[in-house]
Order: sequence, then structure tokens, then C-alpha cells
Amino acid sequence: MIRQLLAEATPSFSWSARPGNWRIEVFAGLVGAILVIPQGITFAYLAGLPPEYGLYCAIFVTLICSLLGSSSMMSGPNTAVAILIGAAVLPLAGRGSPVYIDFVFLLCMMVGLIQLVFWLARGARIFQYLSPAAISGISAGAGFLIIMASLDSMLDLSTFNTTFFYEKLYVIASDARDLVNPFSLAIGLTTIAGGYLGRRYSPRYFIIIAVSAGYLCGLLVAFIWPQPHTELEYLGRMPLQWLPLTIPNINMDYLMISINLIPYAITIAFIGLAQSLVIVRELKMETDQNINLDKEVYAQGMANFLAPFFSSFAGAGSFNRTRANQSLGATTPLSGIAAAGFVLILITFLGPVLTYMPMAAMSGTLFIVGADMIKWRDIKHYAQVRSELAIYLATFISIMFFGLAVGVVVAVFLSVSVFMLRISQLELKVEPGDAGLVLKVKGALFYASVAHLTERFHSHAGENLTVDLQYTTHIDQSAVDFFIRESRHMTAHGHKLTLLINDRQRKFLEKLGASTELELVSL
Amino acid sequence: MKIGPGFLLVALVLTSTAAHAQQNQPSIEQLLEEPFLDDYYSNVVYGYEIITDTQTNASRYVGNSLQCSNCHLQAGTLEDALPLNVAGMYPKWRAKNGKRNGIGLRIRECFLYSMDGIMPPEDAPEVLAVSAYVTYLSQGQVMGAEPVGRGVPTLPDTGYDPNPANGRAVYLAQCSSCHGERGEGTAGMPPVWGLNAYNKGAGMNDIQQAAGFIWANMPLGNGKSLTHQQALDVSAYLNLQVRPADPRDSKFLKLLEHLLN
Repeated sequence: MIRQLLAEATPSFSWSARPGNWRIEVFAGLVGAILVIPQGITFAYLAGLPPEYGLYCAIFVTLICSLLGSSSMMSGPNTAVAILIGAAVLPLAGRGSPVYIDFVFLLCMMVGLIQLVFWLARGARIFQYLSPAAISGISAGAGFLIIMASLDSMLDLSTFNTTFFYEKLYVIASDARDLVNPFSLAIGLTTIAGGYLGRRYSPRYFIIIAVSAGYLCGLLVAFIWPQPHTELEYLGRMPLQWLPLTIPNINMDYLMISINLIPYAITIAFIGLAQSLVIVRELKMETDQNINLDKEVYAQGMANFLAPFFSSFAGAGSFNRTRANQSLGATTPLSGIAAAGFVLILITFLGPVLTYMPMAAMSGTLFIVGADMIKWRDIKHYAQVRSELAIYLATFISIMFFGLAVGVVVAVFLSVSVFMLRISQLELKVEPGDAGLVLKVKGALFYASVAHLTERFHSHAGENLTVDLQYTTHIDQSAVDFFIRESRHMTAHGHKLTLLINDRQRKFLEKLGASTELELVSL
Repeated sequence: MKIGPGFLLVALVLTSTAAHAQQNQPSIEQLLEEPFLDDYYSNVVYGYEIITDTQTNASRYVGNSLQCSNCHLQAGTLEDALPLNVAGMYPKWRAKNGKRNGIGLRIRECFLYSMDGIMPPEDAPEVLAVSAYVTYLSQGQVMGAEPVGRGVPTLPDTGYDPNPANGRAVYLAQCSSCHGERGEGTAGMPPVWGLNAYNKGAGMNDIQQAAGFIWANMPLGNGKSLTHQQALDVSAYLNLQVRPADPRDSKFLKLLEHLLN
């Protein structure tokens, strides 16, 4: 056991022995790096941090995760995680202030620790119970939140708090003349138009096209009107270091206040892992990579735990970058390692150009990313099954109104309860046999499903019963107690209860002392 | 009108509490030693750090190599050297942009002109932190009234035009040891012209204002040693030198400067 844990905890590099084209991997890394730069900056904005933290996240979280992991999954800044970090820490300190950053670091370490506990508890299996509809619902809800967040910076609203999204829309619509900055809006719309037009020609790089369109529009605006007139928000200089080592500030006061962060830390840890594992599971199904799910959980947890030491915030697997990576033919973690290196190199050279990047262009790309997360195809797909649609819509709507953390709780609760309802359904078939009725039981027989069986027993009271348990997957003690009780009751009325069982069930029943009370017939 | 002893007592209590509130405010040195600060005081400390080390703490929006405290001497606490205890003066109308200015806009414009950088957004953490620091320094000032020693002293009319040639002689004799012969600055001392200095939109580019600042504070530690005329001459000399363009006029030049710098 310990040896297995140690093997998972150390970088394996087993992929380096696998035949693979390193040139393809490195090129995929370059594309991943180009894609992650706008994402890192915008997600840092969502998390309420200065943009360089998003880039550090794109470098170091990706690097650690790829070094320790075993798959070609691209980790790094993640939308849902970034939104949750913002939602968690904003009540505690002013956006982007030093105390805010301290709390973000503390939160990320907590997230990493919780994920490491998940790893030790072999928690990767838990995420199989989260239904795909719930995951799509969470993703769509996060998309909606991203669109709303992108409006802030696209319309150049100074952040005002509204309880519900429609209030915000109403305020914007009713006071558009005073609130909306036309220059900012023009750049944002150009970016979105560039993105959707660019997608026709290059589905892979359209984000880059969108950002370039927004940047050029911004240059045009800056060329005609001065900044004091346009009041445009620019990215500004990024004081980037190659090795931004920090030591998170931890003391009693911080720890006392950060108790408030624990629910968020659990949610972020859960959401981050859920996304990473969904990606890894897809990779495992679609490619022949030798992926160990537990090792991926460890890699993600460790990356998030170490993130604050490299001035970055927590991340998770990225759907869009992993997909780009996969379509370019990358199959090993080398692509992630290369991506981290390329981000560092690109940023060093692009820094001066990015200074004049309008934030409206960044939020335009954010809008596209958000809109892509709400898929009409998903809704149509889940509409076919009523329970799936209910989970999807309930998750989506609760995220719209109450935020991501509540939405995740709803999603988990609904997935688990649908799962429970399904598993507690027994398939019962009654056939006339030679000595009374034969009741065939299919499904798991446990405390939740016994009630269903009770109803059947009562409708056939007054007859000899043979219960056929050979298709029953599981029997628990409450079911055995129920049989014993019923058997006593029936013998008192002059009837007989016989159980048809297999060897494994016989062992279990004998251990519980049922052989003296019940008539057991082996098959 | 007869003033009763009760009124006096109330007045006494009021003034003493006001004085008390002022004393009660922890000093920056005390704040710096605290292990944990609330949102307001952490922003005050962050603002203080931005003022004293702008290059590292607010580098996002800064385009030259100046620090705020190069003009706002002693972190904005020195009279006649543009002290920052002016929160009670804002919002007010300013001729510079013809608008009603809040303290936020005032700070943002400092970044744009004096720091020759980019105007930060209204809710940038840097702006909020400097606002918090200005609020902190302004504790105990009367709302709307000018604090003692606000801005720089206005020099009286000397009766002569400022003479840049004479200013050059004074500059080389008195200023160049710190600010360099070509105004490039030395370690710890700010440049006064060139592409790393304030731009043509800055308040320091105004001859009268710069002269007032120079007369009251320069050479550093030996202020008011120049005559009014010498200060005006030096100011006129500085005004003639090359420096970054005013961001309101030469947009294209500004873009190039930013992309190159």
C-alpha cells in the first residue's frame, strides 16, 4: 500500500520510454501556451488577482501537474475554480490588495490539502457518482457566470453588487447612457465578432483571432482618442519574474478568519478534481494512454498545494486546451511541460505588446469562452430523459441565482438522489411454482429497497412463498432481518417461506444465524 | 448670548475626543509591524508602500522611473512638498480636465501624467490603496478647508522673466550632482527630464508650480536656499528639456513610447 502511494507520489517519467513524437508534443505545447495566455489573464481577473498571477498559474500549475501526472491533460487556470476563488475571498478583503492575495494563497493551500486527502482516501471513485448531466449543468452555469462577469469589464462598469443577475441587466439597460463606455463596448463587440468569424476559418485558433481583433481595435481607438477621454482600461505592464517564489503568510489571525473559507475550499477542491477527472476519464477512453486516476488526483492536489509558493492560484484541468492538445496528437505529459516553458518565453517577449491590451478585448474572449460552455446540444441531449433534464436545469438555474457553490451542492445532491432512487428500485416478478408462488428479486436488497419488497409480501399474504435471490446483487442485514421476521409471521399462520440462494449468499446468511430460522435452498 | 458651563463642557469633550481620535490612529511604523491588518489598514499600508516604492508596488500603471515620494516628499507628509493630507478637498472641480474630480480620478491622473503611465481603472487595487492612504493622512483635517502647506508655495512676482540660461548655470552648480548633468538622475534620485521623467501633461511641467516646489524643497534637505528668481530660472530650464509627450495630444507618439519603453 505504502509502496503504491510512493509510486504515485513521485514523478514517474514512464511516458518518456513510450514511443511518441517529441516534436508533436512540443508543438502542441506551443499551441497550448498561446491559448492559455488570454485565459490566464482573464481568469486572474475573475479570481480578483493581478494578471501576472494567472500567467504564473498557467506556468507552474501546468508544470507541476504534468511532471507528477501521467496523462496529456493540460492543467492550469480554470474558469470555475477562478470564479469560486473570487466569490470566496472578496467578502474578506478588497480585490487585489495584499491581504486579498494572502487569503487566496491560504485558500489554494487548503484546496491542495483537501485534494491530497481525497487522494489518500482513494477518492477518485466518488466522482463516478456525479452524473454527466450535473457536470454539464455546472459547466453551463459557470458559463453563464463568466458571461455576466465579462459584461463588467466589457461595458466598463465599476463593479457594483446586485443580488441577482437580472437586477444588474436592468440597471445596465435603464442607465446605459451613464454606465456604458462606448469605446469599451466597441472593442468588446469587435473581439466577439472576430472570434465568431474566425471560428469559421480556424476552429482551433479562433481565440487568438478574437484577441488580435480586439487589440487592433483598441490601438485604433487609442490612436484617435486619448486615454483620459476614452477611460479605457488597459492590461498595463506585468512585472513578470522567471521564478516568482513566495512564502504564503500564515499566522493565527489568518487561520482564524480563513475558517470562513473552508466550505469554499471543499467546493473548489471538489469541482477542480471533478473537471480534471472527467477529462482524464475521457482521455483514458479515447486514447491508449496508461493513466492512473489516483496519480492524477495526487498531481492536481500537489500542484494546487504548491501553487502559492510560486505566486499562483489553484487550477484544474482545462477542457478546451486538453482538446486542442489531443487534436494535435499529443499523448504524454511532455506537452504540458513544454506549454509551461513556452508561456514563460512568450510572455517575456510579448510583455511590452500586451501593455496596451484593452481589458475589453480580454473580456470579449471571456464572453466567447462563457458562451461556449452553454451548449444547446447538451440541453437537447438531456431533454430525452426527464430526470437528467431535471438535474441539468436545476443545477443551471441554482447557479444562475445562488452562485456556483450552491449549484454544486444541488448537483451532487440531485445526482446522488437519482442514483439512490434507481438503485433502491427492485425488479420483482411473481410466477406460480410447484409449492406456492415464486418471487424473483432483481437488484440490490438493502434497507432502502426492503420497503418495496414488503409491499409485495403483503399483497401475497396467505400463500406459500419461494423467494428467488439468484439475481440479487447484494443483501444486507436489514433484508435478512426482514426475511426472518416474515418467516416467523408466516409459520405462525401455517405458511412457508423458502429462499433460493447461491453459495456466497449462504455464507453471509449463516454468519447472521439465519439458517436456523429460514429454509435455505442452494441452487 | 450667554454661554452656559454645560455648553463649554460639551465643547471641551468634543474637542478632546477629536484630538483623541487623531492620536488614536496608529502610525505607519506601528502598522508595518502588525502581523495582521483589517481591510482598511492593510490598504493604508499598501498605499504607503506604493507611495514610497512605486516601481515595485504599482509597476502595472507606471511608465517612467519615478516614485510618488520623489515629489510627495517624506511619503506625502511634508508641508509645501505636495502633502497628501488632502482627502477633505475632494471632490472638486479642476481646470485641468474641466470635470468634477474625486480623489480617485486625481490619483489616476497622477499615474497618467506624472508617472507617464496608463490610467488605472477606477477600482484598481492600487488606486483604492492610495485613496486609503490619503484618507489616513487626512485624519483630523477640516473638510473643504485647505490643509496647512497644501501643494507648493506660490512664488511672488519677481518682476523679471524666468531666464533658462541662468537656470542652466544654477542647475549645473546646485542640482546636477544628484539629478545628473543631463537630468538622467542618479541612484535613488529621480530623473528630471528625458524619457524616464514626468511627461508634458504633469503638474511639474508648469513653470510656476515647479518653481514653487524647487524653492521650497530643493536642494533636498536645504530648501529655501535659492532665491525666488533662481528657482524660476531653473524651472524654466527644466521646462525646455525633452520629456515624454502629453498623452492628451500626441496619441501615436504616446503609443510608440509605451511600446518601446
